[in-house]
Amino acid sequence: MSASTAVEAIVESEYEHGFITEIESDTFLPGLDEGVVRAISARKGEPEFLLEYRLKAFRHWQTLATPKWAHVYYPEIDYQAISYFSAPKSTDGPKSLDEIDPALRETYNKLGIPIEEQMALSGIAVDAVFDSVSVATTFRTKLAEAGVIFCAISEAVHDYPDLIKQHLGSVVPHTDNFYAALNAAVFSDGTFVYVPKGVRCPMELSTYFRINARNTGQFERTLIVAEAGSHVSYLEGCTAPMRDENQLHAAVVELIAMDDAEIKYSTVQNWYPGDAQGRGGIYNFVTKRGDCRGARSKISWTQVETGSAITWKYPSCLLRGDDSVGEFYSVAVTKGRQQADTGTKMIHLGRNTRSTIVSKGISAGEGQQTYRGLVRIAAKAQGARNHTQCDSLLIGDRCGAHTFPYIEVKNPSAQMEHEATTSKISDDQLFYCRSRGLTTEDSVSMIVNGFCKQVFNQLPMEFAVEAQKLLSISLEGAVG
Amino acid sequence: MNATPGNGFAPWLADDGPAADTGLAWLDSRRAQARAQVRDQGIPTTKQEAWRYTSLTRLLEQGFTPTAKATTPLEPRDLEPLLVPGLEAYRVVLVNGRFVPGLSDLQHLPAGLRVGGLAQILKSDPDALKDRLNGVAGETQPLFAALNTAGLDDGVVVLLERGAQVERPIELIHLSVGMDEPRVAQPRHVVALEAGAQASLIERYVSLGEALYCTNSVLELSLGRDAVLKHQRIQTESANAFHIAGLYLSLGAGSRYQCVNVGLGASWARTDLNVRFAGEHAECDLQGLYLAGDRQLMDFHLDVDHRLPHCSSRENFKGILYGKGRAVFDGRVYVAKDAQRTDAAMSNRNLLLSEGAEVDTKPQLEINADDVKCSHGTTVGQIEPEQLFYLRSRGISAPLARRMLCLGFAGEILDCLTPDALRDQVAEQVGSRLEQAPID
Repeated sequence: MSASTAVEAIVESEYEHGFITEIESDTFLPGLDEGVVRAISARKGEPEFLLEYRLKAFRHWQTLATPKWAHVYYPEIDYQAISYFSAPKSTDGPKSLDEIDPALRETYNKLGIPIEEQMALSGIAVDAVFDSVSVATTFRTKLAEAGVIFCAISEAVHDYPDLIKQHLGSVVPHTDNFYAALNAAVFSDGTFVYVPKGVRCPMELSTYFRINARNTGQFERTLIVAEAGSHVSYLEGCTAPMRDENQLHAAVVELIAMDDAEIKYSTVQNWYPGDAQGRGGIYNFVTKRGDCRGARSKISWTQVETGSAITWKYPSCLLRGDDSVGEFYSVAVTKGRQQADTGTKMIHLGRNTRSTIVSKGISAGEGQQTYRGLVRIAAKAQGARNHTQCDSLLIGDRCGAHTFPYIEVKNPSAQMEHEATTSKISDDQLFYCRSRGLTTEDSVSMIVNGFCKQVFNQLPMEFAVEAQKLLSISLEGAVG
Repeated sequence: MNATPGNGFAPWLADDGPAADTGLAWLDSRRAQARAQVRDQGIPTTKQEAWRYTSLTRLLEQGFTPTAKATTPLEPRDLEPLLVPGLEAYRVVLVNGRFVPGLSDLQHLPAGLRVGGLAQILKSDPDALKDRLNGVAGETQPLFAALNTAGLDDGVVVLLERGAQVERPIELIHLSVGMDEPRVAQPRHVVALEAGAQASLIERYVSLGEALYCTNSVLELSLGRDAVLKHQRIQTESANAFHIAGLYLSLGAGSRYQCVNVGLGASWARTDLNVRFAGEHAECDLQGLYLAGDRQLMDFHLDVDHRLPHCSSRENFKGILYGKGRAVFDGRVYVAKDAQRTDAAMSNRNLLLSEGAEVDTKPQLEINADDVKCSHGTTVGQIEPEQLFYLRSRGISAPLARRMLCLGFAGEILDCLTPDALRDQVAEQVGSRLEQAPID
């Protein structure tokens, strides 16, 4: 394939996973007021404390304005035109896969991730979120043996109210930002993970998300608590069906790591990015934050972001415990009219805290890609260490790659380095590969995969394979 | 927040104020426009990106008044301690923001070079400035540039004709003296090099005494095709001074511009360098060195706009922070959609030497073209213990070894200074500041 037709191919390639599953769902009329917040809470039969939390967040949200500082441009969102609750019918809770709606299972099959195979082959417990209510939870028994709690947050509210009361909103308070406040007010469902003291979670935990009901915002809430000396690895992956209207997704993820605990959080995000004219596509405004509360704790974020029309996402680490470690590894791809403003915050508060940031941005077509990061070393963070590397790869002359790092150092013993480069796939690299008999396509794929290798190495095995495949599909033939 | 800044700037903001009527309609309307802009913008707070790390509170607390028209009578020999020994230059002296011909040395200017006071030229030949004032800075200006426009009454004009090459540097001395009460000086400079012209410009901000005052200067500079300018700015204002400088540069095709900034003085200093490429194949090299000790803030903002292809820029700033010194570095390189073959490299390195010192740095790249070479790097660190040990093991005392290593760190920028006489003087100033610094 010649270079120019290859570029056209990528620009024209339609979203692979675009289809809508017809499942009857129980959806609220669009609009948001206190009544809606109360109704969500009532529908889910939530205890009083949670309703109060939601209302507090809602009242605060009403005082806030949409943040405008990000390098993304989109028409104003009408928050009254969105429906804030959608639950698939028959929520009595299936006990086995046979009870799952065949249409839903068909959807997973189309995506190439049949639940049974996933379970059998990779040993992953899957808490599949289909729109807002969890409909399948597996491997619960095996996890229970180890003492690990892995369930929908709506169930956890009933089963473990004390844990929820203690931890919900303790990392991302409802006052944190516009979208976090909105999420706190109307969050639909999500995942709760609790790993008790000294337990190493026996398997990788995974949630597959799907946004399905038309015109419905999805407000996931994830809370992971790792007690002292525990270890857990959590995978999050998602695809979404094709649709015309923009869909808002404002999730909140909170991680808490106590002394010597380690949390590894991996994401592969492949939501619908909109069509070639930039119509449709998911708005992904996510607040993710990890709190390294204990000494020697570690939180590691790895993300592969290829989807969404707009991504606004900064997985962060609060390094409060002495000797705690924060990591952020990211590959983000924007093509077509996609816009991504993503990065991380590393807040060094404890002594001898360390953080590593590796961000790889690939921008093609008319994609706009922004790395925005903050490294703050507080006055008391003796011996803090940070290394940041952000590299951008530009494919085509109409895309953009931007870097906005913020570095604030208040301690003289800090060592911090930041470097950033921007480049394109050079003719020399291409020629080298081509002269050894590789097609242009394969050469590009190989070069891009090499560019991202540092991040892919951080992903769990199964995800790494998926991510590489996703990347080569995303960039098929994209060479200038 | 108030809609208008504190006292110091109020006289320029009144529509019927003394500064409103200059007798030149075009100038009056530009000044009126600037006043309106200041009133509309209000005072920036730390919520605004450009002022995120720099609070204006301390500046606005002062009850500034404009500098008096009549300046303290100085004689050329009063200047002697402030000169660079051995530096031969065409000298322009401004006292409290006003051009003083009696102290300046503009004898025997070579053909093609015109140097004069802004007020003088506004009287004698206003048309020469009509297109140049705001010509580079543009009509819409940020707060302090607009304030300068609203209040401009003097400064220096340097015009170099086509092809003129000036061997000796042109030295601009900004002297602040006799400030018995807090005053604001707002010099406005216009420097223009026509096609093929070459020159060297040295700007020095000096003061006699430790007075509290404010300098708010704006320099508009344009380089014609293939013009070459070396611009050196040495800021050693009084320890209590506020220093604000806005530089607006327009670089023509094939022109080469180098700017070496050294910030040592003032208690609060903010410099904005705005570079626009006006032609292809132009080169811009911005070098900087700053030292900040107790109660000192050094803030450098760079905005390099690669709007045209085939241009290159270098931004290399280094800082040494000690005591409770603070530094802010905010660099932005923008590459427009069609600015292919842009080559830009930005670097900001800092040595943090003591508890209480702080640096906030923000090197940004905005890139909208693919065939470019752009990079940035930032470091914040300390003196390497191994290097210190190496020197100590050779019998050098710890304080001296630290100073040597700091001077070595600064050396890369100091070595850009020419001629040697200037470099030696600045190196000595840096050395003596480090000697007093509580870094041991």
